[in-house]
Amino acid sequence: MTDSSENIPVVKEPEQVHGLLAEYETPQQLISAARQVRDAGYSRWDSYSPFPVHGLDPAMGIRPTVLPWIVFVAGLCGGTFALFFQWWTSTTDYPWIVSGKPFFSIPANIPITFELTVLSAALTCFTSMLLLNRLPLPAHPLDRIRRFARVTDDRFFILIQASDPKFDARETAELLARTGPRGAVETVMEDTHSSATLPRGVVFGLLIVGSAAIVPFALTTLARVSTSTSTRFHIIPDMDWQQKFKAQRQNSFFADQRAMRLDVPGTVAQGELQDDDHYYHGKVNGSFAKTFPPQVEISDQTMARGQERFGIYCTPCHGDDGSGQGMVHLRAKSLMQGTWVPPADLRQDTLRYKSVGELFDGISRGVRNMPGYARQVDVADRWAIVLYLRALQHAQGARIEDIPESERKGLE
Amino acid sequence: MSHGEEAHLDDRITLDADGGALFRGFAIAGVAGLGGAALLGMSDTAKLQRAYLVAFMYVLSVALGALWFVAIQHLTNAKWSVAVRRVAEILASNMLLVAALSLGVVVPMLAGSSDLYVWLDRARVEQDHILHHKAAYLNIQFFMVRWFLYFGFWIWLGRRFFKLSVQQDKEGGAEISSSLQRISAPSMIVYALTLTFCAFDLIMSLDAMWYSTMFGVYYFAGCVLAGYSTLGLALMWVQSKGRLSQSVNEEHYHDIGKMMFAFIIFWAYVGFSQFMLIWYGDIPEETHWFHWRFEGDWKVVSGLLLGAHFVVPFFGLMSRHVKRNKRSLAFWAVWILAVHYLDLFWLVYPNGSGDVPFGAVDILCWIGVLGIFGAGAIWRAQKVNLIPTGDPRLADSLAFENV
Repeated sequence: MTDSSENIPVVKEPEQVHGLLAEYETPQQLISAARQVRDAGYSRWDSYSPFPVHGLDPAMGIRPTVLPWIVFVAGLCGGTFALFFQWWTSTTDYPWIVSGKPFFSIPANIPITFELTVLSAALTCFTSMLLLNRLPLPAHPLDRIRRFARVTDDRFFILIQASDPKFDARETAELLARTGPRGAVETVMEDTHSSATLPRGVVFGLLIVGSAAIVPFALTTLARVSTSTSTRFHIIPDMDWQQKFKAQRQNSFFADQRAMRLDVPGTVAQGELQDDDHYYHGKVNGSFAKTFPPQVEISDQTMARGQERFGIYCTPCHGDDGSGQGMVHLRAKSLMQGTWVPPADLRQDTLRYKSVGELFDGISRGVRNMPGYARQVDVADRWAIVLYLRALQHAQGARIEDIPESERKGLE
Repeated sequence: MSHGEEAHLDDRITLDADGGALFRGFAIAGVAGLGGAALLGMSDTAKLQRAYLVAFMYVLSVALGALWFVAIQHLTNAKWSVAVRRVAEILASNMLLVAALSLGVVVPMLAGSSDLYVWLDRARVEQDHILHHKAAYLNIQFFMVRWFLYFGFWIWLGRRFFKLSVQQDKEGGAEISSSLQRISAPSMIVYALTLTFCAFDLIMSLDAMWYSTMFGVYYFAGCVLAGYSTLGLALMWVQSKGRLSQSVNEEHYHDIGKMMFAFIIFWAYVGFSQFMLIWYGDIPEETHWFHWRFEGDWKVVSGLLLGAHFVVPFFGLMSRHVKRNKRSLAFWAVWILAVHYLDLFWLVYPNGSGDVPFGAVDILCWIGVLGIFGAGAIWRAQKVNLIPTGDPRLADSLAFENV
């Protein structure tokens, strides 16, 4: 270390002095010097280092940055905007059903909301960091100091600006000399030669890039407001014209010219092999079965199921009691529909003495005006309906003797 | 990078007999909790099994989280974490005890109980087309093979990290560090596979019809959260006993807090990704799993989970000051450990009935299993240094500062 009095430079014209510069060899020296400058009460000064030095912030007395709050607010804005914009486009501007989901489906909107939150926070973080640090800085008086070039490599610097209210050419230089710099404290002069604005070439470059960036938007806008006689431009032709045959179209490859192929004769789809005549068709040896097939369990549970299915599929026409006075029938009558064929009274004798197989067949394939219900009601449920229907017919024509002794009293 | 003060190791770094009170507390809680649960749950063993499964998956997640922490620090040659790594090594080396605790799940399975896992019911498997299809994987023999692989690997890895690190305390030198770094890379792959399939086997197969390939990652997110939260709390407890007072400081807590914050987001990210694919696909065999969780009282639990496991801690842990303050970090660590239980409860229990059968048995099981695990960890902690003194990167860790 040299004697401190030798380090005091000759002060030139005060208005030309930008500040005083001290150089250090290690980050530890920089931190201890920064502490001394901080404690001396300076405010317009800075440290320079090739890499982030841990603990430099408190050593310089720098207050926590406001950047996290800016980023937080930017993230919130990005997320809110994304959610609002998706809501507006999908419910108000251009409502369109996608995959049967509601117009405004939060789950589908989360990914974009997330991305826009992150994007807006990240971009804001980057640009705010630059702006808060007053970057980019095209020219700085330190650029003219030869040894300052090593700040990008292995040297550390402190610069106290002359504009600091506490700055005094002599005292400040003495302070810096006391911090143990390498070599002399150097006076940095204001840079009167180079301008603080961007070089002309950079400005022109930015202008050209900026103008070019408008072109795609201008062309898109033009295309939207004008008409054209030329054919549409196909961006992805093999998606617009696909090499495939659609249903019900012709295909010369096959002899029968059908694009859709039929099943090989004798094909049975899984679960469609209905080889049990009694169960699937209600027939035994070609005539209607008198008994329920063994697969049908005669139980309260089946009865309840049958009652429920009857309530859903049969009562609209036949009515709750099977009398044929269902809501559809009553409505047709009230409208005086001339072509209306009244539904059958299920209690009539002709039906009461029909075998269960025939009733099953009627439900499955329909009777006169009544369509078949095989498509809507599966086999087990159709048998359950038959079971319930049998009970209903019995109950509707019941005599007092049919009722158990114990129950009879309440009715008499 | 580290500058400034040199490393100081004038701390007390052994627990000696000071863990005795907590060891006894944990041991008593463990025995009393499990005993009480067994007594109370005797009448309804199906319920007891579920309660025990939640509690077991809970300690397993703590141990797996700690194991992952140790492995990733070695894998990345991390310097900051050396001062806190021993505590995680102790938690992870407890895996043998966790394997013993898993017997509470496995023994009823071997005894033929299909209360939890329908795929153990032979008659159901014969009848059900889907179960029949999956029987090549979901059967008790193959399950036992996998169980041995999972725990065998975890016990081996946890013991290896712990033993070599303790050996390094005496011998020093960088060879042990680099050999641990070498095994950590392939171990990470095996770890990912074992954890994923263990989560499939023990939780996902509760509903054997349902499947989600992301399920293992979802459980992993919970493991890491539980691991970091336990690590933070354990360090605070050690420091409250006057140990590691200077070795571990707010810089280390800050990093632990950052990882908690990151994995809060990761948990939500994975959970949502799993949900969105199923929601969009809208296939009944997949959606029923969520329907069960959106019906009846489970609707409230699901909402609570979203709020308490993501929204609230997301904003709560965001600030740097919260992570650097021991008290506030402790609050969030306890919070995460509580909602992690809720998360596992939410994974294991719903069965379509809409009821949320939370009761004393659940709490007793949780206290019991956690007590045993904690007692094991403290027993081990009393015998070794609380800091890997032989690790050449220790000085860097002690002087570590966040930018």
